[in-house]
Amino acid sequence: MFLNMLLDFPKLHKSEENLPDESLPVPEKVSVMRLAALMGELLLKNGGEIYRVQDTLNRIISACGFSNHSVYVIANGLFITIDEGEPDACSSVRHIASTSVNLERIAILNQISRDLCSGVIDRREAYQRILRLSGPAPENRMSMALASAFGAAGFGVLFGGSFWDGMASFIIGFGLQWILYGLTDRGVSRFTTNIISAFYATIASALCIITGLPLHFGYIVVGSVIPLVPGYSFTTAIRDLFNSDYLSGVIHLLDAIILAFCIAAGVGFGIRLVTWLGGITYLGI
Amino acid sequence: MNAMLIKYLTAAASSMTGVIAFSVLFRAPKSEYLYCGIAGTIGWMFYLLVQDLGGNDFFANFIGTFILTLFCRLMAVIRQNPVTVYLVPGIFPLVPGAGIFYTAYYFVMGFPDTGMQRGLNIIEVAGAITLGIVFGSFLMTGLLHVAYRKRGSQSPHPEKE
Repeated sequence: MFLNMLLDFPKLHKSEENLPDESLPVPEKVSVMRLAALMGELLLKNGGEIYRVQDTLNRIISACGFSNHSVYVIANGLFITIDEGEPDACSSVRHIASTSVNLERIAILNQISRDLCSGVIDRREAYQRILRLSGPAPENRMSMALASAFGAAGFGVLFGGSFWDGMASFIIGFGLQWILYGLTDRGVSRFTTNIISAFYATIASALCIITGLPLHFGYIVVGSVIPLVPGYSFTTAIRDLFNSDYLSGVIHLLDAIILAFCIAAGVGFGIRLVTWLGGITYLGI
Repeated sequence: MNAMLIKYLTAAASSMTGVIAFSVLFRAPKSEYLYCGIAGTIGWMFYLLVQDLGGNDFFANFIGTFILTLFCRLMAVIRQNPVTVYLVPGIFPLVPGAGIFYTAYYFVMGFPDTGMQRGLNIIEVAGAITLGIVFGSFLMTGLLHVAYRKRGSQSPHPEKE
């Protein structure tokens, strides 16, 4: 029975949050806080920049009629307080563990915030519209795999490869996305996933070379690992730093560097293995 | 001349393909795929153009990002979307994502000197990109401000960068 209670607790907590605002006797301030916290959490989860989250939350809380508030956002968490120092002050802390970029959701959340601030919709409707976005995004794995394939091919050619290098990257990039899905579905950590995927890309590229076709190993490998490369983290890091969000900038920068080393480790290990097996004497990038 | 044309056409086709693929991977709204692709192609074309006209890597990256930011900001206003939707996939060819990989790769494979050189290059490129975004946003914000004032309406939801 005790176990049951323990197991039920998270569900209970969740259903309480999902109830519409007015059925609960919550003060207005608390419901504004919930709205803002959910909005901020979703923006961060889907890869919104720090200044956007901070700006949006400030606008929402002001538009709901509270002037004494403070919002602090970093790359993996957010803190909001309203009316600090008053007897009925309230505050909220959220931890955002993982980010997966979803630009469409950011655009929708931005639109909701605009509508709310300009008075087109009220707080309740805004909350319900935001709540609809809180589940996992529907994904079409086939189109994602094709996108990964086209991305690998496009960048393989962009960085100097020939058309046939692009075709090889296309095939490897297609397989790469399925390997990524297979690993993440089994709950493998992000770093291990990247090492294994990069290793696969290298071995697959070496196999393409062994066929004897006129291909360039270096371009194929770079093209194939491009879907893994932390370009997004790096861009965000730069933009955070220049918006003076130094802490978030450093978090994103470190993330990019560590991921790059994971990929490099996977590629390096793959090349050493192929060389050791004696298939090819030297493979340089 | 012919070789130049082929080079530019290949670059345009590959950057368009790559950037649209990345806008799918980043789950941009379906209606914006094409504009993301155009943004990425414009940035990369100007990068190549400046390089061919004799500009160094820093300057080429700066101009590429600058034009790209102008375009993205303009699209953000016209299409009523946050600028991130266009900027994140569009900047991908210019961002030294592959550069970070090469740096780490050379360190892992035991060529720290080459790795160091690559790393310094990344810092240079990152600086150029930052400057490009800053100046592009600054100019576009100013232009939009003037445009709105001329029309006599207030600028909606003024967006930073």
